[in-house]
Amino acid sequence: MSAPAPDFGAATMTSSPLVLEHVTKRFGGLVAVESVTVAVESGKITGLIGPNGAGKTTIFSVVSGHLAPTTGRVVALGHDITGWSPHAVCRLGLCVTHQLVRPFPDLSVLENVMVGAAFGGGARIAARDARREAMAVLDFAGLAARAEQPASALTLAQRKRLEIARALATRPSVLLLDEVLAGLTPSEVVQAVTLVRQISARGITIVMIEHVMHAVMNLSHRVLVLNYGRLIADGTPAEVTGNREVIEAYLGAGGDETPHD
Amino acid sequence: MKAAGLRPAAAAAPALGVALALVPLIAPHNITVLNLGFFTFLYVAQGLAWNILGGFAGYISFGYAAFFGLGAYTTALLWLHGWTPVLTFPLAGLCAAAFSLVVGVPTLRLIGPYFSIATIGVGEAMRILMLNLDKVTGGASGLNLPTVVPSKGWFYLAALAIAAVAYVTAVWVRGSRFGLGLAALRMDQDAAETLGVRTALFKNVAHVISAFLVGVCGGLFAMYFQYLHPDNVFSFTESISLVLIALIGGIGTIWGPILGAAVFFAVQDYLQTSYPAFHLLVYGVLLIVILLFEPRGLAGLAARLAGRRRVPAPVAVTPAAPGTVAPPPAQGGAL
Amino acid sequence: MFTAQNLISICITSILTAGLYAVMSYGLAIIYGVMKVINLSNAGFLMLGAFMTLVYSQAWHLDPIAGAFLNMPLFFLAGWAVYVLLVRRVRQALPIASLLMLFGLWLVLQNVALSVWGSEDQSIITRYTYKALSFFDYRLAVTRLVVFAVALVVMALLHVLLNHTYVGKALRATVQDPQAALLAGIDTERISALAFGIGTAFAGFAGGLMTLLFSFTPDFGAPFQLKSFTIIVLGGLENLAGVTIGAAILAFAESFAVLFMRASLQNVVAYALLVVALIVMPGGVTSVFGRRS
Repeated sequence: MSAPAPDFGAATMTSSPLVLEHVTKRFGGLVAVESVTVAVESGKITGLIGPNGAGKTTIFSVVSGHLAPTTGRVVALGHDITGWSPHAVCRLGLCVTHQLVRPFPDLSVLENVMVGAAFGGGARIAARDARREAMAVLDFAGLAARAEQPASALTLAQRKRLEIARALATRPSVLLLDEVLAGLTPSEVVQAVTLVRQISARGITIVMIEHVMHAVMNLSHRVLVLNYGRLIADGTPAEVTGNREVIEAYLGAGGDETPHD
Repeated sequence: MKAAGLRPAAAAAPALGVALALVPLIAPHNITVLNLGFFTFLYVAQGLAWNILGGFAGYISFGYAAFFGLGAYTTALLWLHGWTPVLTFPLAGLCAAAFSLVVGVPTLRLIGPYFSIATIGVGEAMRILMLNLDKVTGGASGLNLPTVVPSKGWFYLAALAIAAVAYVTAVWVRGSRFGLGLAALRMDQDAAETLGVRTALFKNVAHVISAFLVGVCGGLFAMYFQYLHPDNVFSFTESISLVLIALIGGIGTIWGPILGAAVFFAVQDYLQTSYPAFHLLVYGVLLIVILLFEPRGLAGLAARLAGRRRVPAPVAVTPAAPGTVAPPPAQGGAL
Repeated sequence: MFTAQNLISICITSILTAGLYAVMSYGLAIIYGVMKVINLSNAGFLMLGAFMTLVYSQAWHLDPIAGAFLNMPLFFLAGWAVYVLLVRRVRQALPIASLLMLFGLWLVLQNVALSVWGSEDQSIITRYTYKALSFFDYRLAVTRLVVFAVALVVMALLHVLLNHTYVGKALRATVQDPQAALLAGIDTERISALAFGIGTAFAGFAGGLMTLLFSFTPDFGAPFQLKSFTIIVLGGLENLAGVTIGAAILAFAESFAVLFMRASLQNVVAYALLVVALIVMPGGVTSVFGRRS
């Protein structure tokens, strides 16, 4: 694991646990993310919205280490993590959930969470402690009753919960949630929103990509809007919904999605 | 990760080991039994070792003959230089382990099927190179070794000991944090990375451990056989024997390679006299049948017959997650 | 060593070899392209193609070229059957399952051949086997020229099939984007079966042609199998036209390598190229199975 010396640049002087500085990602000729600069506030929930293909998931992948940015840098928890491997990013305390949930199908629900507990966050942990910790996380996420079931037997809502539980087990300081509400029924959305609030109440900084607008507007302290890879708005939910460019992005070019659900 | 019902099996293993260890005392002159035991244990050990990478981590290698051959030649050459053969075994293992690192660091970045193809290339390249290094390996005329040898009973017990070491290693890996990491990366490399598993490191460690064990087996084989030929110890057949033993016995399980090796040599022994080519044919058919009907192999079949369903599921045939249209498993080439 | 004559002669040899290499690799490329399955049984069908040609030759004195063409429909049906009976049933599993399944099939084919024909070297001698033509200062074996010409003709036919028929277009569409092809109403199941049939037909055809150049045993296919992998990886895997390029690269690399190393090491060139290409070719594997964003 290469750990470049912490960089005490301007961005890290603020207490922000996650800073993107002029992050650009190109795929061949296509610019997926263009010079995005943002500092996430500690302990808050930040929403990241935008039409499909706006580059939201690409940003998450750049932060998580699955993709290297073409230019720019990512600073998290006092380290310049640009170009780090995903496992190193996770151990630093920054965990990402996947949009398409991917539980380890042959492991039980508990074992799935144990992977996060055993390998995430800093200090090494014995298998027995990992089991205990995983059980506690499952309790918190409301999956304790399913601990011994194979993960492949879960419903979509439960899988999304498992995805979150697995990430939580890594003891993150920053949690990036990629569309954890998508595909859920309205009552499941309500439950999931409660879970996100509870996580936030633990002091974990959350950034969430979401299409379920009423939920994201409700939850977020601050909303970032991305369109064609550029950050076009940044403000409180109220400010963003009133922004003309945002409305145009959704109604004009984007098409099928609207900021009001 | 303790699979339910592993306990009786775990208790059965030491008992079986002790019982088998008594055989040379009871029948010290039954060469047939002792030879069959030697080869079976030698391949139990290799099957278990192969399974650490192939079964637990899901990286199917068709190139393990390279490790076997390197181990065999390490022992042979040191023996010819006056070493006591038994003392060369650790070096045989280390030599194979070092080579596995050289091969593994680049190739384990490939996703599963491409790794498999690359290992065929590596294995065959090694065989041809060794054939051409005639100064060292004796090339196509082979290498004759000294004939001072212990009894067949000694070899039987030595192979049993290596098999026991491989068994203990496999059981330890399976139950450890390391094993949990391997299981995670086998099913989804990206997700494992995201949760902090150092996938590149883990794969290579699994590769090195299994290569070491196979190298030691090669060393013992050289001592037993007293004649080495690159086409023999580096052969593709040697490589695929391990794949077949693990797959037919039950890939990713502890008992699979043990059952697989036992059946492999029983079938070979039975068919060899009358139809020498047939055992591979039988194994090819078995492989196809198993992939179609019981991906957990003989171990899975045994579990099914015993009415237990919770056998660790196979590497080979995990269905794609429902709702996704059979995507390639997104395993990044992260290093 | 590097006389102009020498160079020209090596280039001619390379081009002739490339023709054979391309035709033996197309089957693998089509099957991989359409269903992302690595057909390890290709080696078995190459070998079987050679032996069937031997059978025709012994039974009816059929010329190997005609035998190779006769193989096509038979192997097409065999490939179709292999897909329907075996491959289709493990396609939903991880890709390694189909690889292992086809590996099992290869073992079966090889050992069936072993029990039918034994392990001795077989060869087919025709009236033109030992003939050679002279162009200026170069003598070229007739068999190599014939194989090259026939390979070109068949690849041209394949090109026509792929570019000017509905089936061919559907097949190419499936190679490029299986999801979109499915949405466009293409029956990808049938296209897969078809691709397996065509791929296997090519293996049988190539195996038949090879009887003109090589002697063969039931183990015959393996080295060529690995060369075919090298070729399609070099060509970029997804790219059917890339097969020709990959074949040329390999053929030239092998011919030139022999100037610097023992002839018995020639096959190592292909295996080394395979491993290196798999690892470093960004246009190959990584672009297909690269990390998703």
